[in-house]
Amino acid sequence: MTDNTRHSVQINPEKCIGCVHCMIACPTKAIRIKNGKALIIDELCIDCGECLRFCPQDAVESMTTSFSDLKAFPYKVVIPATVLYGQFDNTTLPNEILFALRRVGFDYVYELSTICELNNTALEMYLATHPKPRPFISSTCPVVIRLIQRRFPSLCEHIVPIEPPRENAAKILRANLPRMTKVPASNIGIFHITPCPAKMVSINHPASMEKSYLDGAISIRDIFKTIYQTLRQSKEDTIMAHLFPETIFSGTGVGTALSGGETRGLKNHRTVAVSGVRDTIRVLNQVELGLLKDVDLLECTVCPDGCIGGPLTVENRYLAKSRILRLVSIMGERTVVDSSDMNLLYHKDFLSFHHPIAPLESPPLDADPAQAISKANRRNEIFQRLPRKDCGACGAPDCRTLADDIVRGLAALDDCPFAKKEET
Amino acid sequence: MTKDTVFRQEFPVKGGDFSRAGEVSWEIKNLLKELGLSTPVVLRAAIASYEAELNIIMYAWEGRLVLSVTPGRVHVVVEDSGPGIEDIELAMTEGYSTATLEMRELGFGAGMGLANIKKNTDAFLITSEVGRGTRLELTFLTNGQRP
Repeated sequence: MTDNTRHSVQINPEKCIGCVHCMIACPTKAIRIKNGKALIIDELCIDCGECLRFCPQDAVESMTTSFSDLKAFPYKVVIPATVLYGQFDNTTLPNEILFALRRVGFDYVYELSTICELNNTALEMYLATHPKPRPFISSTCPVVIRLIQRRFPSLCEHIVPIEPPRENAAKILRANLPRMTKVPASNIGIFHITPCPAKMVSINHPASMEKSYLDGAISIRDIFKTIYQTLRQSKEDTIMAHLFPETIFSGTGVGTALSGGETRGLKNHRTVAVSGVRDTIRVLNQVELGLLKDVDLLECTVCPDGCIGGPLTVENRYLAKSRILRLVSIMGERTVVDSSDMNLLYHKDFLSFHHPIAPLESPPLDADPAQAISKANRRNEIFQRLPRKDCGACGAPDCRTLADDIVRGLAALDDCPFAKKEET
Repeated sequence: MTKDTVFRQEFPVKGGDFSRAGEVSWEIKNLLKELGLSTPVVLRAAIASYEAELNIIMYAWEGRLVLSVTPGRVHVVVEDSGPGIEDIELAMTEGYSTATLEMRELGFGAGMGLANIKKNTDAFLITSEVGRGTRLELTFLTNGQRP
């Protein structure tokens, strides 16, 4: 596959030494080591970024927007994820971070927490008017969407068809900025600041619309240092931020950086929040078995503790979490979203998906049922000859996967240094 | 039928082992997907297998699920050595359960198990001997047409 926008991460062959860390860590077994380098199988990758976390060589690179890409747009708009507010020390207020982003060179900085709260309210309205199916699954984490499309296709119709806050914020800006600023629409570039690489795939290849409203996503890791230095250089900004807290923040909205942030506000519904990729896979399986029918909304985020645990964050996630919780408690539970605005947007379908999310099922062992059965038998026979050490020396993450690759014609028994050659 | 057109695999299940509940049906679900079965059939077989697996864990000492797949049908035989069922008709009633308080606290034992299994199969057979064990035979047609 030559389209390098298909995925949110890529392996840098200069740095990759062909060790097995990423391959073993991959929850969907989407990585193989071929010719001494890690290789990502497009159809299996869900863009969770686990490989990026585990690579000791720093060879897994996120395909997020670079600073040079920003130059294409004369008018630069930025929408930072609320996760960003937890990345700096306790004395740095969100307002200062927004000021710093302006100093860094963004022409317009849009604060996302209000839209996060708006999104929560829209979720509540949607749940109240749609009795089936149960549970609904929130659409915020792009990895969960991809996981459902590939591994739990029957759950596509459980996804709440409301775009996540970052997209709706960008949509609102696209509709209003050209008029407000007199800048031609084509000159405006809108960028998200993201804690994970997956947002990039949801921008390049959205699952629920033809084209994303965002032009790119900048990694927190990449922009952190620039913001940090700006914060230190501009003391007057701090005073300004303290004396003129011009931006209205939503406590509920800021809280969506954490697992449970979307469900906490839903007082009239039964909700479950799950975080971490393995636990997400487990709970989606349970939903598919019909075990969570008494739950109204299931929020899944594949990063541990929610977006705050994203692979592109810089701060220890426990500290970051404690800061976000502190901000939530300072900002309080008061509603900042105007309910009549909300009603208008909701009923105009402004916040909704353009089209439903379609399943992307992985191919069976063989299109012919009888052939598939004989391949499954052969796979079991091959597996019997493998050592079950799951060492990864063959270039597959475990013996089972090697057996699977062999029957699919992607590997050979000789790839395993321990395989029994004879039938036993 | 030749050996090649039947896929057969046995999955042992240990009574009382709640920590592994769902692993066998997860494997069955993935296997059936890999064999190219349609999603509705895969899901019905997975749900029935899950309930059967849980029944062994909750009530029996030990047991196994034996999966066999031909191009036309999926067959799951569930055998356990356990206390058996005295009144099968009663046990099949939705809401009837002999689950202990402890099981219910874990979220199991709503008394829908056997009824749910039957509902999801295309053919269902149950035999049981008190003090010895229970045997279920579940059949699913792969063309997805319910008889």
